[in-house]
Formats: sequence, structure tokens, C-alpha cells
Amino acid sequence: MANLRGHVTGYAFILPWLVALALFIGYPFIAGFYFSFCDFPPLKSPAFIGLDNYAELAHDAKFHRSLGVTLVYAAVAIPLGVVLAITLAMFLNARIRGQSFYRVIFYIPHLVPTVVVAILWLWIFNPEFGLLNIVLAGLMNAADRWTHLFFGLGAETPGEAWLRPEALALLAAPMLAAVTIWPLVPAVLKRRPALKRFLAAVAVVALVLGAVALLNAALHGLMPVDIKTLHSPGWLADGNPLPSAIPFAPSWALWALIVMSMWGVGQMAVIYLAKLQDVPVELYEASDIDGANWLQKTWQITVPMISPVILFNVVMSIIGTFQVFAEPYIMTGGGPEDKTRFVAMFVYDQAFQYQRVGYASAVAWVLFLMIVALTILAFRISQKRVYYAGR
Amino acid sequence: MAVSDEKRGPWYLRMVVHAILATGALFFLMPLVWMIATSLKPLSETMKYPESASDVFLGAGHRAAIDGRRYEVVLEREIKPAPDKPFYVVRPKETFSAGELWLTFGPETWKKFAVFNLQELGQMDTPVTPEMKVLADDKNRFDPAAGTLTLSSGRKIPAELVRRVTPAADGSALWVVREWLAADTDMREVGSTDREVTRAWDVLPMSQIAKTRRVIPQNYPIALARTGFVRCLVNTLFLCIMTVGGAVISSVLVGYGFAFLEFKGRGVLFAVTVATMMIPFAITMIPVYLLYRDLGWVGSFKPLWVTSWFGSAFFIFLLRQFFLGLPKDLLDAARIDGCTELEILWHVVVPLSRPAIAMVALFTFLGTWKDFMGPLIYLNHPSQFTLSLSLQAFYTEHGGTPWHLLMAASTVFSLPLIILFFATMKTFIRGIAMTGIKG
Repeated sequence: MANLRGHVTGYAFILPWLVALALFIGYPFIAGFYFSFCDFPPLKSPAFIGLDNYAELAHDAKFHRSLGVTLVYAAVAIPLGVVLAITLAMFLNARIRGQSFYRVIFYIPHLVPTVVVAILWLWIFNPEFGLLNIVLAGLMNAADRWTHLFFGLGAETPGEAWLRPEALALLAAPMLAAVTIWPLVPAVLKRRPALKRFLAAVAVVALVLGAVALLNAALHGLMPVDIKTLHSPGWLADGNPLPSAIPFAPSWALWALIVMSMWGVGQMAVIYLAKLQDVPVELYEASDIDGANWLQKTWQITVPMISPVILFNVVMSIIGTFQVFAEPYIMTGGGPEDKTRFVAMFVYDQAFQYQRVGYASAVAWVLFLMIVALTILAFRISQKRVYYAGR
Repeated sequence: MAVSDEKRGPWYLRMVVHAILATGALFFLMPLVWMIATSLKPLSETMKYPESASDVFLGAGHRAAIDGRRYEVVLEREIKPAPDKPFYVVRPKETFSAGELWLTFGPETWKKFAVFNLQELGQMDTPVTPEMKVLADDKNRFDPAAGTLTLSSGRKIPAELVRRVTPAADGSALWVVREWLAADTDMREVGSTDREVTRAWDVLPMSQIAKTRRVIPQNYPIALARTGFVRCLVNTLFLCIMTVGGAVISSVLVGYGFAFLEFKGRGVLFAVTVATMMIPFAITMIPVYLLYRDLGWVGSFKPLWVTSWFGSAFFIFLLRQFFLGLPKDLLDAARIDGCTELEILWHVVVPLSRPAIAMVALFTFLGTWKDFMGPLIYLNHPSQFTLSLSLQAFYTEHGGTPWHLLMAASTVFSLPLIILFFATMKTFIRGIAMTGIKG
């Protein structure tokens, strides 16, 4: 009898959750599945219409567009976010003073409420008076002045054609030099630290200068006209693809949302950081003895050790992408020309604007199946690459 | 923690890391600085391309003495009239017909400027209002002895209304300015018509114009009044308290059940619980909405907090993991002493799990405070709006013009979370690390 009492106590404890499972997850899950086969006008009961909703969404160009937008966003924003977050976490993991200060700074954007983020970035992306275009114009002018100063290239006025071959060759030269010098530094000069340090400094300076020049060239190549004129990027108002030559390239508006999402990357970075700090120091010490360099340590130790968290974050990001709603809803209303109408917004529109509950349910279910498929894919791809300690 | 220099790495590498992190931190903080900076600017300063880098973050104003009185002026545009070619600025007391305005001298922009002003007033064909100053050129006849100006239409403008402007011999620029009577004009609400503004125009050399800094803290009370801040704060806090209470109580109970109690089907149920974390909100949103609609709860707060009293998968998972890390001997000892499960939970587990429980409370608070879609779907009357919803409504209502007020409201709206973060940083950092445990 004591055993039975144990079962009863156990169920009594988890009773609230059982109710939630049934009422807020199980029922909606099944009901949604049923509604997806129904015509369900407002204030009427659902009428079974078979696969009509699914047939419609197979031909609904607007749905296909919004699915495309979501997938393109996921394909760009998720890898970019992972790389940025891990890079940031590695820098935050460096043994330097003020580490916790930096950690707090990078985490703060995550505390800003979604609506505030949306409205703040609307203002930042303002084509005329927004911070981003002002800073971009300033950066481009500064880069112009730098390249002029150091390489004597181009005119002092911004907007000069930078992609002339001889200019590019001159820009590439210091970078090539730096790349060549770099591996020689430890190999040849192991016993002469002063010279080694000097060469390293030269390489760093050359690399920085080259990077500035190259960035400048890239910016001018991307921006069709002088950014300070009225033709500065329209960001959220611009539906043109960037770069325009590549098929499926995100529109300017979608890039704006991607840039905005990168602002919240600090939250993921802090999670990676927690995992990085768990990596046993002995592994690095052992690799030091084996003479591994920084890059080898990163690829052979750091990345494998944090791979479970990477997988977890990628899966959660995939699910999150299918829920992106508040930002496009507030910032663009789905525009321009549906270029930012994410699928969650499409479902919301169908359900609450057009009151087409049946159709919205069908779309939601297709999304769910896609999430499941993508998640399985993520697990499959990672099966050989993710390292679980103790397994 | 004293770390030797050797372990920290060479100094130049540390410098590079510092430089990269500081640059990154600068870029991450810039949006927030810009938000606060905009919230303290007058409206006219937000809608302006900055003249210098400091103007980006600090509102600039200009003052000028005109007729012995100090005015707050807005620089409209720069003009470069031909040197030594005088023109006339007419006091704003006469009414002119459009045909009388001969603004054909000077560069092309000058002409555009005149047309722009007339179009702005919507009076291209009708007589121009007396508020408008007229810049007359040499097609009009000026009598230096009497000081009067005769327009091409034959009308005479008396001397006290005419001012002769002589451009400098070096051709340096003059500024067309709009004057504002009161320095705090911009504080008035957007769209109201009772601004204390003299919509007058003048032309002044830069040497007569002094730059000032304008910080307008009054934006804050106006923004808060316009968004109905107090009522929305009460609504939001109510929802936060209800959801935090519900999430903590239910998740602790359920987490304890999954961690320490033996019952049939526990493993399966826990696996299901973890799996439900994968179900996106969009899937269950519609049927749950219909459920609440049938209960007659749409348009009330109930749908926004009742759910949390039944637990959430993520917090149950987190708490169970945390509970499993507690020393089992303590629980067994309490059980031998004859404590009931609830007593063990209250007297043994809860005191030991304070950090984890605080984390659940914090994350629920954050989630409710930030929530937008829930209130958007379930609330329909402005008196029920949460802070998120009222901010979005304020933005939609004005189509994004009063950026100074929007940023002021945004600042006030984000501040409690940032303060809360600093007050509970330890719990936060530990919590974030815990969310990354899974894998």
C-alpha cells in the first residue's frame, strides 16, 4: 500500500503540470491538427474539408515568400550568431582584467524589452537621421582619409572609385606581406625575442592597415553611391537584395533585422563562456607540450569541448527563427513587399487579421514539421562531430 | 585571484584583447547611449543631420540676437550670395502676394528655398501670411534716403520694416534661420497647434549665431503622460507578480516530484516534458486562444497569467536538474524523522535551492515584462495595456515622428530590468550558466 501512496503523492506533486500538458499543450496540439483539416470561420464550428488547406498552402505564393524569408534569415543569422557568440566568448574568456565588466556590457542588450529593441532600432535604421547611417558615413570618410594618408591613393573626397585594379593590388600587398611574415615569426626567430616582437608588431600594423583599406573598398563596392547623399541605405524600407548578384540574397530590410539580432549575441556568448570555463586546463597544457598553436588548440580542443552547447543553441535558434514576430510586426509590418513577413507573422495574420483559423493551423503544422525535420538534420549532421564528455 | 603574468599571456596580446573587447563594448553600448541621448534632445534636433560628432549624442541649439532680443533659432540652410550684392529682409508685418516676391538673385538653392517656404505654407497663389519674412532683391527699388522699399507691384514698404543685408566681401556664407520665441518650445506635444513659435525667417552671418547645448529632461514627464505610464506599469507589475508566483510555486512542486518522488511513468512524463520545449508558440497559439475565448477571458488579464500556475517545461527541467544535485542524505534524514514530502520540500529543498528558485523568478519576471505577443493577442482596451503594448501603440499612433518622446519612454521602460540585473547579478550569471548545462 505504501507503494501506491508513493505513486499518488508523486502524481499530486506534478498535477499542475499534467493539467498544463493536457490543456495547454496536448489539446492545442491535437486540436490544431484537426483544425488544419477544417474550414473554421469565426463564431462557427469547424467543418471538415480534408486536405484543402494543405492544397491551398502548396500554391500560396505569399506563404512561399514568407517561408523563403524565414529560411534565408535562419541561414544567415544562425551561423553568423554562432560564430560571433563563440568568438566573443573566447575573448571574454581571456585572462585579462575587467573580464566581468565586459561580460556585463555584452549581456545588457538582452535585458532590453523586445518592443524597445524594435523601436530603438527603427530609429537607428532611420535612413536620414539614424545612428547607423551617420556612423557609416563617418567610418567611410575616416577610412578614406586613412587610405589616402597611408597609401596616397584616391581623392580626399569620399565616393572615389576604389576598385581600380592597381589600387586593389596596393591594398592587398600589406595584407599578403603580413600573412607571409606571420608563420615565419615563431619558426625563424625563436631565439631572438626582441626581433620577433618587432616583426609581429609590423605584421599587426600591416594587417590592420590592409584591413581598413580592404573594408573601405568593400564598403564602396557595396554602397552604390556616396552614403552622405540622399541615397544612403534605406535599410528597413529597402526591399532590394544585397548583394544583388547573388540569388536568394537577403534584402536590405532583412539584413537590418539580422544586424539587429546580432546585438543580442551577448546572451549566447555568456552561455558559451560558462562552457568554455569548464574545459579542463590540462587539455591545453598537454597541447602546449605537444607544441600546438592557437588555431590548432581552438579547433582540436575548444570547439569539440563546447560542441554540445553549440548544437543546443543551433536547435533553439532554429525554433526561435520560426517564432520571430514582434520585430517585423512593429518595425516593418512585413514590408517592403513582404520581404520581412516571417512565417510567425503570416500565421498571426491568417488567424487574427483574416480570421482563417483552419488555414492558419495548417500553416502552423507545416512549420512544426519543418522544425522537427531541421532539428533531426542538425542532430544527424552533428552526430559525428559533437563530443559528449563521458560517453 | 592573483594570476601570474605568465599565465595572463604577453602584454601586447592582452592589449590586443582589451582593444578588441573595448571596441566591441563601444558598439554594443552605442544603441543604448543613442537612446538616452535622443530622449534628452529637442524634437528639432532629432530630425537633423548632425554637424559634428558631438551633435550625434548631444542636442545642439543656436541662439542669435535679432533686433536686440535673444532668440532660439533653427538653422535652416546655408546660402552664399554674391559678395557686395545687398538684399533686403522685410519685417513680417506686411502681406504680400506671391507675384511680388522676386527671389531670383543668388544661387539656385536660394530660389528653391523661397519656393519651399511658400509651398510649406500652402500659399503659392494666395497672399503670403504676415509671419513670413520676405527677402527682396534688386528688382525691387530701394530708396536709401527714405529707407523704403518699393516692390515691383508698386507697393511701398516703410523703412522700419526693411533691413538691408550686405553679404561679406569674402563671400562667406550666411545662414537662413527660423526663429523660435521660447527656448522650450519643443517640449510641447507633437501635433499641437498652440506652439509659441514665431514662424519667421531671417538671414544672419554665422558670427551672429552662437551654438548652445540643449538638454531637455522635460521630455520624460511628457512621454510618460502620453503613454499612460503609471497605469501600464501597474498592469505590468500585476502580471509580473502573478506569473512569478505561479511559475515559482508550480515549477518547484513539479520539479520536486520529478526529482525525488518515485511513481509510475515518471521517466516517460519527464521525457515528454523536455520534448515539449521544442514546440513553438505559433503551433499552440490558435487553439489556446480559442479555449480562452470560449471561457470569455479574452480582453482580461487571465490568459496572460493563469497558464504560468501550471508550470513551464523549461523551469521544471532546470529545477529538477538542480534538485538532483542536492545531497540526498539530507532528504533521507528528514524522511526518517517523519517529515511529509511537503515538509521536506519546504524545510530542506527550498532553503538549499534559493539560487535556482530566484533564477526562475527572475527569468519569469523578465519574460512577462518583455512579452509583446501575448498582450497583443489577449488585451484590447488601452486601460489594460502593458508597457510593451502601450509603447507600440504610441509608436503606431504617431507613425514614428516624436523620436525624443519614444526614446524617453523606451529608456524608462528598460531601466527597471537593467537595475534588476545589477541588483541580482550573481543569480543572473549563475542562471545563465545553468541554462547552458543541457547538452
